[in-house]
Amino acid sequence: MSKVIVVTSGKGGVGKTTSSAAFAAGLAAKGFKTAVIDFDVGLRNLDLIMGVERRVVYDFVNVINGEATLKQALIKDKRVDNLYILPASQTRDKDALNTEGVESVINELKEDGFDYIVCDSPAGIEKGAFMALYFADEAIVVTNPEVSSVRDSDRILGILQSRSKVAEEGGTVKEHLLITRYSPERVEGGDMLSMEDIQDILSIPLIGVIPESGSVLQASNSGNPVIMDKESQAGQAYTDVVARFLGEDVPLRFVNPEEKKGFFKKLFG
Amino acid sequence: MQLKGEMSMLNVLHIQDTDVNKVCSTLEQKRDEAPQFFMQSPLVIDGSELSGNALDLDFSALKEGLLELGFIPVGVRNFPEAANKLIRASGWAIMRAQQAPSNTADTKSEPVEEKAVQAEAKSENTNPATQTIGMNSAMTVDRPVRSGQQIYAANADMTVLAPTSAGSEIMADGSIHIYGALRGRVLAGAQGNENARIYCQSLQAELVAIAGRYQLFDELDTNLKGKPAMIRLEGEKLIVEAL
Repeated sequence: MSKVIVVTSGKGGVGKTTSSAAFAAGLAAKGFKTAVIDFDVGLRNLDLIMGVERRVVYDFVNVINGEATLKQALIKDKRVDNLYILPASQTRDKDALNTEGVESVINELKEDGFDYIVCDSPAGIEKGAFMALYFADEAIVVTNPEVSSVRDSDRILGILQSRSKVAEEGGTVKEHLLITRYSPERVEGGDMLSMEDIQDILSIPLIGVIPESGSVLQASNSGNPVIMDKESQAGQAYTDVVARFLGEDVPLRFVNPEEKKGFFKKLFG
Repeated sequence: MQLKGEMSMLNVLHIQDTDVNKVCSTLEQKRDEAPQFFMQSPLVIDGSELSGNALDLDFSALKEGLLELGFIPVGVRNFPEAANKLIRASGWAIMRAQQAPSNTADTKSEPVEEKAVQAEAKSENTNPATQTIGMNSAMTVDRPVRSGQQIYAANADMTVLAPTSAGSEIMADGSIHIYGALRGRVLAGAQGNENARIYCQSLQAELVAIAGRYQLFDELDTNLKGKPAMIRLEGEKLIVEAL
């Protein structure tokens, strides 16, 4: 049974695409056939983060318009088996998306035996974001520890539970909270919302906390999903997110400030 | 495409007079009590309480009058068959008559499907306390009310079992009970019921209002912020008390 997961946030720049890429790569690495779709038509980014920008021939909109088959447009990742990327069109805008077209692409992916279809949503609450979440069974809501991001996530949760297909049919979309760019030191210093504060406001289950890390930017620039960087804290945190998503019980890491080792601690460990 | 028969929530205007101007001016007052709620709302006209001859009613003028007031006239019901020709000629849909809604308590969590707006100003000399009669259901909300969401319990009390977020708005014609944190706007007695109250477990509301008297959170004179509280109206003043 394939599942459609939307990665969304409302606000821009919080790490939706980074998270989509890491999450999809993580699922694929666990052996699940996974497709990740870029819904940000006109502002295509996922291909860059995934390092496949030179391999884009046909895109999502071409498939919707019947100008290419899904097979032609899907890009198979060279690093991870089972991972496929469906890039957005850079020359069109969000109006090129329509419910019927998106549905037919998602259904075709399901028929092709994909276990997970990850929809990378654009920012905002307009058509692109709406299309990305409409067919979702589950949602990963990416939030930064600051008030405007939390409020926008709250807004998108409302839309998710009232306007998605599952909601229209009387069901509920399963919600997961993913906090990114978290800096325990700044939380302790009081200039960042804590993960408890965010959970208190959004009241949805937490699937993971990704620490603020230079390796994310480095990974993006080099076109490698950060989850592949096993050394970095962010990469490890994303690995935990995937494990929790698949039902494993994994404790949170990197959420407390790193202990500054004093002289005696250094001596005696 | 799909064509389906579905029930939707519609406001029903029971008219008692064939004088279109009179109907419209009374309705205008009603609308101004909650302009946001009535903005572009679809309206059905019910003729069962009409005292005069239905044939005297100018259906075209009624339609235009309603459009001017910002309503969307949908159809009419409970008019004598003799008027059907007139009704159709003026572009109204004739809706199937239905039985009068029963006043028994409804245990479903859905709001009452119909809201009777009394066009005739007959409440002028009646006791305001009788306005609560006809309240025939309670609305239960068990999911968080998110920023940007607006929920209205027409002619009913509302119970919210989850938090309401900053930037959300909950309204009821009756009282409102919130068992999660109350962070958004909350408006009880939206149609002017001054006896409506607000009860909450954690008072963090951006704005509280009862029967049109409102106060912002910062203006609330209370040490109960973040604590369980009840808000009621005394004269023109909102009183916050511990629960």
